[in-house]
Amino acid sequence: MDAFWIIITGFLVASSTGMLGNLLLLRRMSMMGDALSHAVLPGIVIAYLISGSRASLPLFLGAIVMGVVTTLLIQFFSSKGKMQSDAAMGTVFTFLFAVGVILVTRFAGEADIDADCVLHGEIAFVPLQTSSFLGLNVPAPVWTLLVLLLVIQVIFWWGYKGWMITSFNNEYAQSIGIRTVLWHYSLMAATSVATVVSFESVGAILVIAFLVVPAASAYLITDNFKRMTLLIMLQGLISAILGYYIAEWVGGSISGSMAVASFLQFAACFAWSKVGTKKEG
Amino acid sequence: MNDLIKYLTLSDPNVRYVALAILLLGGVSGAVGTFNFLRKKTLVGETVAHSMLPGVLIAFILSGVKDPLVLISGAAMSGWLSIWVVDYITRHSKIKGDSALAIVLSSFFGLGIVMLTVIQRTYGREQSGLDHYIFGNAAAMSPEDSVVFGIISLVVLLIVVWNYFSLKAVVFNQDFAQSVGINTKWIETLISFITILSISVGIKAVGIVMMSALLIIPPTAARFWTDKLGRMLLISGAFGAISGWLGAFISYSYSSMPTGPWTIVMISLIAFVSMMFAPNKGVVFQRWSKLLVKRRMNEENLLKTAVQLEVRGQGKLFNRRSISARQFFDPRLWNRTIKRLRRKGLVKKVHTGFTLSTEGRAIGAEIDRRHKIWEVYLQRRMQMSVHLVHDEADTMEHFLTPEIEAEILKELGLCSRFNPLLEIHEIVPEGA
Repeated sequence: MDAFWIIITGFLVASSTGMLGNLLLLRRMSMMGDALSHAVLPGIVIAYLISGSRASLPLFLGAIVMGVVTTLLIQFFSSKGKMQSDAAMGTVFTFLFAVGVILVTRFAGEADIDADCVLHGEIAFVPLQTSSFLGLNVPAPVWTLLVLLLVIQVIFWWGYKGWMITSFNNEYAQSIGIRTVLWHYSLMAATSVATVVSFESVGAILVIAFLVVPAASAYLITDNFKRMTLLIMLQGLISAILGYYIAEWVGGSISGSMAVASFLQFAACFAWSKVGTKKEG
Repeated sequence: MNDLIKYLTLSDPNVRYVALAILLLGGVSGAVGTFNFLRKKTLVGETVAHSMLPGVLIAFILSGVKDPLVLISGAAMSGWLSIWVVDYITRHSKIKGDSALAIVLSSFFGLGIVMLTVIQRTYGREQSGLDHYIFGNAAAMSPEDSVVFGIISLVVLLIVVWNYFSLKAVVFNQDFAQSVGINTKWIETLISFITILSISVGIKAVGIVMMSALLIIPPTAARFWTDKLGRMLLISGAFGAISGWLGAFISYSYSSMPTGPWTIVMISLIAFVSMMFAPNKGVVFQRWSKLLVKRRMNEENLLKTAVQLEVRGQGKLFNRRSISARQFFDPRLWNRTIKRLRRKGLVKKVHTGFTLSTEGRAIGAEIDRRHKIWEVYLQRRMQMSVHLVHDEADTMEHFLTPEIEAEILKELGLCSRFNPLLEIHEIVPEGA
């Protein structure tokens, strides 16, 4: 049963982050996942120090607040400070992460928290946190992730036209009166929520991987947007299953293995797209 | 204070190597980062650093020891592989650079984590300390480490000096570099080489997850101070070195404070201060110069309108209401502008209102004249409608230099004086 819940968790994370990753890919902002998952560390630590517990709600709120702050800071640095956008991102998230590490070391004595647990939150512990519902023993993270997936799906299909048009041609969108900044911020907010919710249960590496790798592989195979979203979910499922059994086999980190598995799939899609173009040519 | 003296004189042998090593590291990565920064590839460092984890671990498994040189070579090799994979993906598919970076980062680091967990389970005591590579441990720097850092900095310095012109050309204009016969591929390889070199030695001190900061932030800060590559390299290197030194100092004087993160906090503060207060490019300076322009425009508008009232025979006396009939001023703006104009002696207060001084009148007339010249120009040359030219001219009148003005007058064949009473439609007859 543990295997089942772990795979389900992996699949849920992949399908909710993958949808957003799709848009990030088109906007050339794929490194945002990496940036956010580093930058929320101080938020988590501060929330922990204030609430004094490892209950997930305060940590979750702290992380979300920090995610939004990160987005705003990057925006401020690049638009008001005229930094080039990649440098603005790099400066903000490394700074915040350093602050987080300092806080962790400073309060290491009093607090049962370390930077490792944030970076490599382990998917293997998911089945341990069961809560029963309607006679079913379902791990709590699965519930949270299920809600996340539903919310993301609703937001995604509600907003995808706006995000598409602002991704492909921002100037045009602006000229016909679409509020591009609003769309940008809403995507960033959704990304930080998804990042935070998922990495609380599966760790940062897997979030970064699932945010971009399935979307990129799907993008190699098809141009059709709806087919892309289906492929992303399928890949998430395969990565989760494959990753779990790789980890079982070598006896290593499950999150890491799932990241590796999704890369293997990317490599396969890459080869496939090469063969395809050769035939056409 | 005692601490500071002890630190400065490097009398404590423990701190000597740490401080020296991190100072060199900061300087070198600051300079190296500049090249990546200018090529808009700052985040390459982030991917390379993360991708070094499997390399370090493979080197450890193969050699069975934690010899720094062996581990560094392993790190460098997997760093190199990661750059190659990113390059391969972007060149052979429609995946863009940023996605390729994220893909390679997450998969290499994921592989590294799998390997680390396996090693921690199967190896005994000899593996402890490997996880230092993730978050860094500057306190564990040994004398040999600072010697290695010294050698690496020398190598990087030599490479940069030796290929300075080619590097500059490639960074700023690839096409130009190619056209003058520079082997751009080779130079790009060289940039990757020094990037990997500095990261692979740095990860032990600063950690894989934070190393990229030392390549990203110093050039970002330095960019606010200069437009020249040479100076930028020096400033960026200096910022990196200073913050490394400060970071080591904080960690020395407060026990249990980590060096790496403090170095990054220091360099971030430098970057933030640069962004806010640097001359010319800083936020404060930019705001200030914008404010000055706005003030000048308001003053000139007021003077111009007063002159227009005079020549239209509405008397020499004016107040807010009469000016606002042509050019709106709200009370606050009016008070501020009038105050500045009176201080400059361009406007005088008379019991019921204000009047222009001779200099004020001259400036106002000049602005009015420029306004009309620009209106005529837009009308005749740009074929704009009479009704539209006024708004355009309202802005341009403040920025028209005497040289441009002379050019326009020559081109339009006008004399330099208009009858100030005439409006645009009277100077240029309808349908002209």
